Amino acid sequence: MNNSLKVETSDIERLVKASQAGDRGAFDEIIRLYQRRAMRISVSMLGNANEAAEAVQNGFFKAYLNIGKLREPKRFEAWFFRIIANTAISQRKAAKCRAEKINIAGGSGSKKVFSPVEREIGEELKEAIQRAMLKLSKKEAKAIALFGIEDLSREKVAEIMDCSAEAVRWHVFKARQKLKVLLKEYLE
Amino acid sequence: MACIQGKAKTKGITERVSGMKQEKEKIDLLLERNANEQLAGVNWDRLNAAISERLNQAGRSKTSKMKYRRVFKIAAGIAVAAAVVFIAVMIRTDTPTTVRFENRGRAEVKFIESKGSASVKIEHASAKAAAVVDLGGSRRKVAKCDIKIIDTSVDKEKNDSRPAWIIIRMPEPVLADNGISKDENDFACLL
Repeated sequence: MNNSLKVETSDIERLVKASQAGDRGAFDEIIRLYQRRAMRISVSMLGNANEAAEAVQNGFFKAYLNIGKLREPKRFEAWFFRIIANTAISQRKAAKCRAEKINIAGGSGSKKVFSPVEREIGEELKEAIQRAMLKLSKKEAKAIALFGIEDLSREKVAEIMDCSAEAVRWHVFKARQKLKVLLKEYLE
Repeated sequence: MACIQGKAKTKGITERVSGMKQEKEKIDLLLERNANEQLAGVNWDRLNAAISERLNQAGRSKTSKMKYRRVFKIAAGIAVAAAVVFIAVMIRTDTPTTVRFENRGRAEVKFIESKGSASVKIEHASAKAAAVVDLGGSRRKVAKCDIKIIDTSVDKEKNDSRPAWIIIRMPEPVLADNGISKDENDFACLL
């Protein structure tokens, strides 16, 4: 399902070079092309669309500020996904606190003044998955989100996570094992 | 019998592996379904607008930061230049000169020049000694010389004939190569 969202490397290289030269329109085009995949990665890692939307905004902001430092425009995708994954990871602490509050309150109290998410979805499952995802280690969350859900190749995930493909395989395995226990009742 | 047991074992392993795969797929599917359902509720235009607004703010603060950075750079440059001038003036006007004796014990004379006046602090007195004169700052030179030292630590009451000056005289031709005459490098220091 992600194939439709994938972008030609030459196109993205051109857009990155233009952005580095200060073309804001080119960066807007990058946002348009990558916002869905960025959201997908963030949602996978945070388990909540509102949290993910915030992480994505921060991620694009960081990418915009640092795009001039990207030496190889053809490697934009890995570079950008790393930013998104790291931003989502750094937001996990805040997300954890909010998730715990929701849990204590026994309902979904996370109504924000501004939210890009229009409608509530499968609350119980959503919250269970969010809690489970937040219990994974940072590396496990990244690995399962990028490899298991975003369907990136193991090598690409290794490049994003800056580790070996074998390490990715291990983190995915560990993540799946933990999730299997944490989400047992939903897997039956 | 052993063959049947082996087949059963293989079958068991295969079932377990396929079971594990199924579990893995179930987990992945569950996570994927959750992600898809959540993404279905996202208002992309609104998210896009939120990101754009954030970047516009960043652009504005970037511009003002650049402006401030330029002003800061100029101010820092001026401050550094002023500091350099100040240090240069201090070195020229207040050059400490150290005289080290080659005698046993290496006694030390600290000589401080400033605006026409001079003072000498004698830490250890020694008469008529060969010494190394080290002029500080831009006039830094090392040379051997004859030195006549007046010991200021001697009490006035005990020694009424307390001398009022010191001469550190450079021997020739130590400073001749830079064109400065010998006389210019002699020191007469009032105590």
